[in-house]
Amino acid sequence: MSRPGYAYHLREPVGYEEGWELQRRVADSVASGLLPDTVLLLEHAPVITLGRRSEPGELHLPDGAEVEIVETDRGGKSTYHGPGQLVCYPIFDLTRHGRDVKRYCRDLEEALIRTLEPLGVEATRIEGLTGIWLEAPPRKIASIGIHISKWVTTHGYALNVDLDPAPFTEWITACGLENAAFTTIARELGRPVSVDEVVPHAVNALETVFELELEPLTLEQLAASGPARV
Amino acid sequence: MATTSAIDVVMPQMGVSVSEGTITKWLKQEGETVEADESLLEISTDKVDTEVPSPGSGIVQQILVQEGETVEVGTKLAVIAPEGAEAPAAAEETPPEPATQQAAAEAEAPSSSEGETPTPEAAPPEPTPAPAPAPVAAEGNGGGEKTFVSPVVARIASEHGVDVGQVSGTGRGGRVTKKDILAFVESGGAQQQEQPQEAAPAAPAEPQAPPEPAQAPPKPAPAAAPAAPQPVAQAQQIEPEAGESVEPMSAMRRGIAEHMRRSLDTSAHVTSAIEVDMSRVVAIRKKLKSEYQKSYGVNPTYLAFVARATVETLRDYPWINGELRGDRIVTRNYVHLGFAVEIADGKGLIVPVVRHTEGLNLLGMARAISDIAQRARDKKLLPDDVQGGTFTITNPGGYGTFHGTPVISQPQAAILGTYAVVKRPWVIQDDRGEDVIAIRPIMNLTLTYDHRLVDGALAGRFLRDLREKLESWEESNY
Repeated sequence: MSRPGYAYHLREPVGYEEGWELQRRVADSVASGLLPDTVLLLEHAPVITLGRRSEPGELHLPDGAEVEIVETDRGGKSTYHGPGQLVCYPIFDLTRHGRDVKRYCRDLEEALIRTLEPLGVEATRIEGLTGIWLEAPPRKIASIGIHISKWVTTHGYALNVDLDPAPFTEWITACGLENAAFTTIARELGRPVSVDEVVPHAVNALETVFELELEPLTLEQLAASGPARV
Repeated sequence: MATTSAIDVVMPQMGVSVSEGTITKWLKQEGETVEADESLLEISTDKVDTEVPSPGSGIVQQILVQEGETVEVGTKLAVIAPEGAEAPAAAEETPPEPATQQAAAEAEAPSSSEGETPTPEAAPPEPTPAPAPAPVAAEGNGGGEKTFVSPVVARIASEHGVDVGQVSGTGRGGRVTKKDILAFVESGGAQQQEQPQEAAPAAPAEPQAPPEPAQAPPKPAPAAAPAAPQPVAQAQQIEPEAGESVEPMSAMRRGIAEHMRRSLDTSAHVTSAIEVDMSRVVAIRKKLKSEYQKSYGVNPTYLAFVARATVETLRDYPWINGELRGDRIVTRNYVHLGFAVEIADGKGLIVPVVRHTEGLNLLGMARAISDIAQRARDKKLLPDDVQGGTFTITNPGGYGTFHGTPVISQPQAAILGTYAVVKRPWVIQDDRGEDVIAIRPIMNLTLTYDHRLVDGALAGRFLRDLREKLESWEESNY
């Protein structure tokens, strides 16, 4: 029943623009059928990204903050990426997954919940606030922002594994949410957690939710797949 | 002659649960040139930002919804003026009715039919695949799109003093069709419908209806439009003879008619048939049925078995899953399987497509067939659901028919017909190798193929292999 796909885990932190370029290349290949549904898993060098719905007041960087600012084409508002955060870009052809943008959001949330579950973190959705939260008091552990072109998705989610969540509140008003608290897996478990530890759970969860069988993709395969078009 | 046919850009359907979207960014401004399929704007729903491709080439004439505004699916967002739009000659005399694109939407439009006579013997022996809206529509010229008000609609509106803006459109993207405006007029919606003559101020009767581009863009959902009450559109009055009654042809019927004629004009249809002993399938189905229904709520129909075996067999016969495109032969490493589904009590047909059936096992196939057939009947198909089929199965066997010669769904190369499973006396060999007569459930299968591409021997081998797969079905294999 499962369809084959690829998962590509980049071990070194990736610059945002470089990662974005990679996404676009993979998306071209997925759109033209050269690649099946493909997931990119990586960590970004520190960066603040502005979504299509970012508003002016969301940015309030302290002087001398060492961070790049990039305006992207994903949905949602501003957010922060940095080492210690698992960034997951599922490049999927939604014509194979129901062609429904809302359902896709809910499915990504489901994948996040199922990623956290085996780690012992019980997460949930909050109606109207896309992303994944822990409750009582509500604190956000993962954000979602997506772009779709010709039903092929780019961008995806960012899951806070082990990083200082201060930038979410001190540098920006992340996701446009005033007074929202942000947390990480490490903080919840009270122990250091590596991104590498979370990746297999993330892959398993995506396989389950999207009915895929994700094989590791090598850089060579990736290079061979594109960017040539049919 | 230059036409003023403008192209509408409407808020696309981004999923069954999505009813509205917010414009986040216009990538082109008024006065700028845009190519068909080039991204024109971005919309957002939830945390998803989506590029909307332009439905046609031309100049962005008017932007109707500004950035930051949220509007419902189907709302007109912009108007594009085709650049140097030229009239497709073939469309010149056709009435500007959005014929084929609306097939799905109008599938169940009620129509009066008291006097309908039973189909005579000479009629095609079985339902054949309906035209998927897009392939049919793709026959038209290149980059065009529907005008937001066709000249005929404009003329009727002006004759009756109707503001088109007040008429709720059932056409694609909320477009007001001729039927809509006639219904509006008939329902008394127009202030002056009693005196059409006087109410026509500056409308010289223009008999030559400017043509309407017939190209359908793949995005807007045809299934979203509600069925309109159907007025008797009296384009040409046909007076019934004594004992006859007359009803208008629905848009879907016209689409089917056009597609059937075109298919027969295009392909060299030949049909081969084979008899299949379904004993193993019957036994396995009996075994699986309760389990499938209890655990998955799915009925493992004979059709699911045949479809599964067909996909397996097509793997070895790429031409039968192929297509003639110009003087090239196109083959694929996937099978997008179309299923002819009857809708509206025999008054319509549609061929929803299950994509990538090569990745489905028996359960997946059974589930996909039941899902897509249900959505076809509920009019919940999305545009992509009826596009891109590579092979089609039609299943008229439910009525006991045992043979037929269906029409190929263009531009495919072949169509499989499945017929009733009937218990018949069958000569088999017993344990000692002697011929005996047994009672066996037999199903006839037909393959109707385009002889331009597929020869009889190839079709014969395909049917033989398909029979072999069905007769030796192992539960674990599928």
